Amino acid sequence: MNATVEKIKTGDKFAELFDRLHTQLPGNASIQSIRKNAIAAFLKQGIPTRKNEEYKYSLPEKLFKTNYSLATKLPSLQITADDSKTFDISGITQNKIVLINGFYSQQLSSVNNLTKGVIVSDISTSFEKHAAHIEKHFAKYANVDADPFIALNSALNANGLFIFVPENTVVEQPIHIINIITANELSLIQPRNLFIIEKNAEIKIIESLDAYKLSTNVVVNMVTEISVAEQSKVQYYKLQNDCEKIAQINTTQVYQLENSHFDTNTVTLNGDWVRNNLNIVVDAENCETHLNGLFISKNNQHIDNHTLVDHQKPNCQSNQLYKGVLSGKSTGVFNGKIYVRRDAQKINAYQSSKNILLSDDATINTKPELEIYADDVKCSHGSSTGQLNEDALFYLRARGLSTDSAKRMLLYAFASDAINTIRIDVLKEHIDKLIEKQLIQ
Amino acid sequence: MSDTNQLLEEITGSEYKYGWTTNIDTETAPKGINAEVIRFISQKKNEPTWMLELRLKAFRHWLTLEEPRHWAKIQYPAINFNDIIYFAAPKPKKQLKNLNEVDPELLKTFEKLGISLEEQKRLSGVESSIAVDAVIDSVSVKTTFKEVLAEKGIIFCSFSEAVQEHPELVKEYMGSVVPYTDNFYAALNAAVFSDGSFCYVPKGVRCPMELSTYFRINSAGTGQFERTLIIADEGAYVSYLEGCTAPKRDENQLHAAVVEIVAHKNAEVKYSTVQNWYPGDKDGKGGIYNFVTKRGICIGNNSKISWTQVETGSAITWKYPSVILKGDNSIGEFYSVAVTNNLQQADTGTKMTHIGKNTRSTIVSKGISAGKSNNSYRGLVRINKGAHNARNFSQCDSLLMGDKCGAHTFPYIEIKDKSAIVEHEATTSKIGEDQLFYCNQRGIETEKAIGLIVNGYCKEVLNQLPMEFAVESQKLLAVSLEGSVG
Repeated sequence: MNATVEKIKTGDKFAELFDRLHTQLPGNASIQSIRKNAIAAFLKQGIPTRKNEEYKYSLPEKLFKTNYSLATKLPSLQITADDSKTFDISGITQNKIVLINGFYSQQLSSVNNLTKGVIVSDISTSFEKHAAHIEKHFAKYANVDADPFIALNSALNANGLFIFVPENTVVEQPIHIINIITANELSLIQPRNLFIIEKNAEIKIIESLDAYKLSTNVVVNMVTEISVAEQSKVQYYKLQNDCEKIAQINTTQVYQLENSHFDTNTVTLNGDWVRNNLNIVVDAENCETHLNGLFISKNNQHIDNHTLVDHQKPNCQSNQLYKGVLSGKSTGVFNGKIYVRRDAQKINAYQSSKNILLSDDATINTKPELEIYADDVKCSHGSSTGQLNEDALFYLRARGLSTDSAKRMLLYAFASDAINTIRIDVLKEHIDKLIEKQLIQ
Repeated sequence: MSDTNQLLEEITGSEYKYGWTTNIDTETAPKGINAEVIRFISQKKNEPTWMLELRLKAFRHWLTLEEPRHWAKIQYPAINFNDIIYFAAPKPKKQLKNLNEVDPELLKTFEKLGISLEEQKRLSGVESSIAVDAVIDSVSVKTTFKEVLAEKGIIFCSFSEAVQEHPELVKEYMGSVVPYTDNFYAALNAAVFSDGSFCYVPKGVRCPMELSTYFRINSAGTGQFERTLIIADEGAYVSYLEGCTAPKRDENQLHAAVVEIVAHKNAEVKYSTVQNWYPGDKDGKGGIYNFVTKRGICIGNNSKISWTQVETGSAITWKYPSVILKGDNSIGEFYSVAVTNNLQQADTGTKMTHIGKNTRSTIVSKGISAGKSNNSYRGLVRINKGAHNARNFSQCDSLLMGDKCGAHTFPYIEIKDKSAIVEHEATTSKIGEDQLFYCNQRGIETEKAIGLIVNGYCKEVLNQLPMEFAVESQKLLAVSLEGSVG
């Protein structure tokens, strides 16, 4: 397959591009109508400017100043099995899914031992093959009117991953999704994923994003929808490492039903310009939601974590902890919102954002928001920014540690809070090592 | 629960005490806004040309702006700015020499409001008195204790008087903190402002009494646009209080004020507001739109500006008393209690901009929402690059009473200096049932217990108010909330 690329410009160009391309993109009539609806929503909203409150601190305009190519087909570049192994997390190799620019690579993936009934497939073939599930869930959670990038992805996504876990099924071993991004010209890559976890099912997903032979800058606009049905338990870990040339807008839209648990952890250790949108809609009672995040930024990096927990029904709990360590001229953003709808009583929702600035040129912007319409709730948020505790440093220095290692130790302790919640030991160790490596630099 | 709910309804239905009007002859400008009206206002006040120029400049700028209706969490129909009377003044009999010449109706008005315009010297001496500048509709009717203050070199008068008598001060400072280009309502105010208070405390002087301005809207169909300017020169201290009420009307009246504070080296200004504009009726009909720009600048080292506000009135409150901490070691404070009931909306908070080294700011905001109201805290803490060792602590608590109201927190924190320590905490909850139970068990009835708990909840802020007003605001809180629980 040859790479098909289309030059794009901002604004109306997208409309033109859509007219030319949408018939080539996968999907039957109903998917096409979703695409049409989405492009209209995108054109209405446009690329966010400073005036868009949600993108106030992260201006994507500059990403779209250049003419990108839109990746609509699998790149021609071959990735050998050996090369792809470099992205493995040791200890998690049993269930491995490799996506190249969002395209499912059967030969590099190994998902043979999955429990019966579990479906792992690329989304474009699922449009036909699993039409019933698609009909019920696809594009039902990520609202094209809520965010222009959801709209852009919904209109022009070329491929992505589809996972289905049937009722009463436990996928014991974690599934590692390796998103390999490769390109030799400026590209806009838009993977679109859908994970459906049915009643009383369990799954652990680790998703990493890695660059491979990436000679230019690319923009990845990924949208992942996750449906978490009654009594199910989902652990979802996102590891963003090794993506120096990748600007990414990464939207995760979660929909939770009764008695479900959703745990997620977003670890960003490297990236050019990162915007993570994590939106959770809790639409039933007795749910639990845990969001944790850690980012370590340096140089000119820009890392933005945007969370929204929308409590629509009573008796639920949510917890958020985000930590950031910033050095160089990097910018960090945390914008979290807890929304409690009218009559969603007895909600316990907590949110905490803690940051350390290591350099005078680094900037952190935080905006922890609460929007509460029910009275019998306990909601709180805290945000603090500071530096390493002088006393603690002195304590360690007095015991013979060098300033560097003392600092590293304190920073590691600070960062580890946010990753201690990871319940897959090998993954935790893996991230631990990456953090240590980061802190040494 | 049901009887507490009932209690809540009873109490939240309580009447606005200051809803009456006074029959006084007023002179008004024609409805609408245009250069002619601005000239009319300027002419009425016998202003020098530079002032008129300034107004017209602001007006021309205002014409280019769009009404900012969407970013704040408030909802209201677009205001027709041509349907407002921009100037209304009680008809002056003649130049006032003493109190006997003030229209007795006016005196009665202020008496009824509990504001004494008579300079009663109490036994304990002048110290315990309060100097009042009374503003009704668009003009200041009387400023008390002027002479006593003048002895110390303190200038306390109406803004119009200051324009006449101290043009050099007005020229220097007006617009230096809130320029007319600041925002839509600041531009509008600069164009049509009618009166307000002016205060200058000279070097090293500690103002011996509380200064206060009392604002009263009386005429129908008018907007009130006053402007206050407070300057504390090196080492000066002044404590200032602002109070406001308005009659009950079915229409919404606009109040767009500007307050500017300048604190020089070692100076301290304390500004307290008890805002009790008419909030509208139970169905949200009528009430004041309170769109106010308040900002102070700690221009010199070691200066301090402290805002305290008790916001109980207004249909919509949109205000962010802010401090620019420019001088090294300067301190900014913001203490706020905002109560909303029925269909009131409040979007209020502060902005602390740290520029100087070792600057400190404290924000304590307590929001109480009842009825179907929405109460938002919106604040910005900004630590600029080079503001070494800046420190901020913010605490925003919200209390919800009833399940139809909303409480929101939108803090913005922007930090560009690594030595900064910034903390922000916010909580939202209702009055604890166990707290109520504890009180009930000890024989305190629910209604009183709630008053007790709410007062305790707001104590941190109320303690910041000058004595006289702390009492007043406690009463105000009691009127608004006594017995409410969700």
